[in-house]
Amino acid sequence: MPLRNSVFFSILFACTLHGTNAGYSVVGPEAGSWPQVLSSIGLLPSTNAYVTVARAQTPESADWKTYVDAGGILILEGESHLSGSFGFISDHSVISIASIVDVHAATSLILANPLILKHFSTPKNSVVFAKDRWSDTPVMAGMQRGKGAVLWVAMDPGKLGFENLLYLPQALADLGFIQPFHSQRTWAFFDYSYRTRVDVDYFASKWKNAGISALHVASWHFYETDAVRDAYLLRLIEACHREGILVYAWIELPHVSQKFWTDHPEWREKTAVLQDAALDWRKLMNLQNPDCFRTVSTGISEMLHRFNWDGVNVAELYFESLEGAANPSRFTPLNGDVRREFKQEHGFDPIELWSTRRDPASLRTFLDYRALLARHMQERWLQEIEKAKTFLPDLDIVLTHVDDQLDSGMTDAIGANSSHALLLLAKHNFTFLIEDPATVWNLGPQRYTEIAKRYPASPKLAIDINVVERYQDVYPTKQQSGLELFELLHVASLAFPRVALYFENSLSTVDLGFLSAASAIVTRYEQIGSTLFVDSPHGFLLSWSGGAKIDGKQWAAQNASNLIVPAGPHSIQPAPLTGSLLTNFNGELLSASSFDSRVDIQYSSNSRALATLDCEPSKMAIDNQPSTVDRVGRTVLLPAGLHHATFTCK
Amino acid sequence: MYKIFLRFALLVLATPLLLVAQPEFASLDRAFAAQRAKAYEAAVAAFQEAASAAPLRADIRKNLAYTLLKVGENESARDQFRRAMELDPADQSVALEYAFLTYEAKNDQVPNKALARRIFDKVRHLGNATAEQAFQTIDLPLAQGIARWTQALQIGPESFSAHHELAELAEQRDELPMAAAHYLRAWQLAPARKSVLIELARVRTALSEPQEAIAALLAASRGGEPRAAERARELLPARYPYVYEFRQAVLLDPTNAALHRELAYLLLAMSDPEAEKEFQTIVKSTPKDLLSAAQLSLLYSSRREGAAAMANRSLQAGFLKDALHYLTIAHESDPANYALMLKLGWTYNMLHDDKSAVEYFDMASKSSDPAISSEAAEASDNLKPSLELIRTTAWILPSYSTRWKDLFAYGQIKTELNVGNKWFRPYLSTRLIADTRPTDGAQPLSERSFILAVGMSTQWRRFTSWAEAGSAIGYTSGSMKPDYRGGVSWARRWETETKFFLETNADEVFISRFGNDWLSYAQSRVGYRWFVMNANLTADTSRQHWANFVEAGPGIRVHIPSSPKNLLFSVNYLRGLYLVRDGVPQHNTFSDVRIGFWYAITK
Repeated sequence: MPLRNSVFFSILFACTLHGTNAGYSVVGPEAGSWPQVLSSIGLLPSTNAYVTVARAQTPESADWKTYVDAGGILILEGESHLSGSFGFISDHSVISIASIVDVHAATSLILANPLILKHFSTPKNSVVFAKDRWSDTPVMAGMQRGKGAVLWVAMDPGKLGFENLLYLPQALADLGFIQPFHSQRTWAFFDYSYRTRVDVDYFASKWKNAGISALHVASWHFYETDAVRDAYLLRLIEACHREGILVYAWIELPHVSQKFWTDHPEWREKTAVLQDAALDWRKLMNLQNPDCFRTVSTGISEMLHRFNWDGVNVAELYFESLEGAANPSRFTPLNGDVRREFKQEHGFDPIELWSTRRDPASLRTFLDYRALLARHMQERWLQEIEKAKTFLPDLDIVLTHVDDQLDSGMTDAIGANSSHALLLLAKHNFTFLIEDPATVWNLGPQRYTEIAKRYPASPKLAIDINVVERYQDVYPTKQQSGLELFELLHVASLAFPRVALYFENSLSTVDLGFLSAASAIVTRYEQIGSTLFVDSPHGFLLSWSGGAKIDGKQWAAQNASNLIVPAGPHSIQPAPLTGSLLTNFNGELLSASSFDSRVDIQYSSNSRALATLDCEPSKMAIDNQPSTVDRVGRTVLLPAGLHHATFTCK
Repeated sequence: MYKIFLRFALLVLATPLLLVAQPEFASLDRAFAAQRAKAYEAAVAAFQEAASAAPLRADIRKNLAYTLLKVGENESARDQFRRAMELDPADQSVALEYAFLTYEAKNDQVPNKALARRIFDKVRHLGNATAEQAFQTIDLPLAQGIARWTQALQIGPESFSAHHELAELAEQRDELPMAAAHYLRAWQLAPARKSVLIELARVRTALSEPQEAIAALLAASRGGEPRAAERARELLPARYPYVYEFRQAVLLDPTNAALHRELAYLLLAMSDPEAEKEFQTIVKSTPKDLLSAAQLSLLYSSRREGAAAMANRSLQAGFLKDALHYLTIAHESDPANYALMLKLGWTYNMLHDDKSAVEYFDMASKSSDPAISSEAAEASDNLKPSLELIRTTAWILPSYSTRWKDLFAYGQIKTELNVGNKWFRPYLSTRLIADTRPTDGAQPLSERSFILAVGMSTQWRRFTSWAEAGSAIGYTSGSMKPDYRGGVSWARRWETETKFFLETNADEVFISRFGNDWLSYAQSRVGYRWFVMNANLTADTSRQHWANFVEAGPGIRVHIPSSPKNLLFSVNYLRGLYLVRDGVPQHNTFSDVRIGFWYAITK
């Protein structure tokens, strides 16, 4: 875009209606990876830019100061007359930078390839956000100016967009950047053992602000009855429901519980070196043993009975390990039942595969048998979980399954075969949550697009992002954070109807503030006259003040800072606030209207839906039939399915 | 009532004093109030303020830690418990809190778990049941895990993950020698995983082996995973490593090119000749390391130029052994330099080590420079026969003399037996002496015969002595006479690069058949390319006029193109002066034009 036009349009940006401008533009011969960076935090390309990137060598112009003073955010890349005019000046000495200290990170950011950069001095009124680990040379600094801000960065963001400037969004936030869109659809895994002493109310609020709509709670800690733990989980579920967050029982069979492992050494799974299969944190049990199966099935049913679960996630129900048959000390299942059954069917003991029978054909026979065994296990346990619908009728079921389409080695490595598992969708109602295998955790965000292409399009698909320390040699951080995490989340949200994060404890506090923006998918955001036209596949939260009409009708779903915009194309206009409001909703909202203290909504949801009001609902009708108000605070628990709900507040 | 009033009044009066004396009170009030209201961020800030105001109060640290736990800031809480433990070592509950949080720490999990186990162990010995239970909960699985992975290694001893798992478990259980051994083995199985070297260094440090720890860190800090390199750099001493530390690291990680390179440059900066060896190691193991290759080339070039210059100086001064030494250094520095090989060949030849000379001539003959290759090939061809067990040399010199108006032919076929001793070389000889005009005794050496003889020669420096015993057989008369002869010869040739040359030879010959005569020849030629100027002296003990004269004059000596390479054509014009007048035919001077060929061949 010609510079003059860019500036001209940019200074016109002003706040859009009652919402925030969401546009960005890049000034320079090539945009590089800036579009990935800026779209990952919810910005859309626009001539009416809230954030403008001036790449290296951008000429100086007084218009840019006007743009910033009027509220624009200007990102200056490297050396240019424009950077110099804002006080970021190179002394032409150069330095090799391999490690960066950022004020937002506890540890240094390591560059995969050292960068040779010029040394810059920064203006006195600027804040240095990131600098070279060894020389203190600044690489990211900025300052507020007028109503806007200037952020200078020494280098481009890198090929993928996150290699060099990992915490750029956080720096923008420090300078006053307002995220235009949010989403409240992300699932997150939760492990009690990391959060035993936290205030669950505090955390429920924190998760809600991060856009978490459901918590998948590691249920093996609650497999056996324990007064202290049970009380904790009851408090956690209540706190989550109050904040509009669903709670799923995350089951990680064949791991049952630590106590179960201790109490039943006779049912322990065996590796190919015939050791008990205590692999990493999981203590694997032999679910092929009928007695073991019956005992575990009863235990899980009791555990589901004891708590007010919204769903169950049957996760990673196959075998170990990622190293496959190459590492017998981690290879399962070689328990007596499996060996016996396999020998009856195929005439040899599979343990021989690591001693006297090393031919590929024999191994192939066992690997195929093992993959089929995993499929049977999955189906059998789905049936067991479905039995819980007798006492938890709205129970939503999820099957978490590692991807074996992008990394086809997974089937032989762990017995996971997604093609087999997907066939179960024809007979059972569940969400198929795809876990990207550890072997591809080092690949960039586009892997989610690639994974999505390999599965039949379905609203029942979801993807899991493992936010953990990766075993691969990855950069700039061992565990995804900052822009890498936001890009992962954004691309995954584009490719799949639902995204889960593993797990809430591994998420850095510094990243929480941007998760809801990264997961928001808005495909159109255009102001024509006084009307804003938007489109999104799953709905989103629009940064907004005051009341609104959507598609010409008064809209009653909004909170103090956001408008709850439903999925699909819509027009939005400012309007005065009237009546009670639906302030939070975690199903798919179809309509929302209010009159005085009455709120009417239409929605659909696979699971129970949680609706939070700005008043205390005393009466409720579902599909025009009076219904008991099942609520926690101002949050009402609604049945799964397509419904019309009416609330009347006191 | 009065007492109550008095106490209240004292309390009211004392409060401001207490606040002044204990400034943390106000902050603590705010902290507890915020905590009650679940305003944890505010509570944390207020507790931190109070802790700053009263840094020796362990209880404030504890309260701060407990508040941090509420908001999930376990790492920060652990730090506060550690401070509290340091302030109040007798507080077992604080020690246990610290130990539990250390055990659960996200970062540096293995050393933290080991630390936690040590704390539990210490506290359990004070009779603390919780510590005892925690210790057993940690220790028993560790012991079982060690046993399990030890057994797994017996089945598959070359598994990185098994060695690494075992090392981690051993470190957590403070079985440090075992941990060090398995970290080392794990890294050796997967040398790209430099992070394992950092783990090894940690254990080495715990084992009070600082040098080994530094070696591991140094190896991790150069080359390989950038993250491990940065981490190692942080853990290394702030000073630059010493040479011996680099050497230890290289011993540990001998294929680490970056480490070798840095050591090489360090040595280079210290002018240590070992630098070259390091660069050689790098170039050999990492041929694509162009930087090191370039540096090595510079070193070679520098050394080669120095050595070559010294070699030339030595050659010019005639110090052949010195020249050989410097040429050898130059050749090692630049093994592809064919000119150096040729020089080495000649030097060896001059030092009479023809075997070595031939080796270098053969190498030089592969040069792409035709001048070098042809000279080397020729030299090699010439020398090789001398190394054979049997060498046959044939030469013939037919010439026409205007002075004698006669066509002469002299020739010899000599077959030598190489017995490996230059002092003693037996041979068989067949000489041809012929002319076309029968003489009348004026030239007694003129004859027409074959002389068959057995001889022996010996060499010392440039001198060759020889002796033969045989029979002269007249090929026209059929007569057969005993023939004994012998002599000493010496020859030398100098040639400049501009093709000026001087060659001289001297011969002392005894011949039995002509009155046991001793003949002396001294023949010298100065020339430029094909042009020569001759100066000859001939004398004998019999004082015959034809054998005592001097002569000089110009001439040409050329190789006719397309003729055999050992065939030379010469024409000389000589003016002579008899030195013995007795028997001189007419004048005491003479002129002679000699036209002849020289051909020699050795097989």
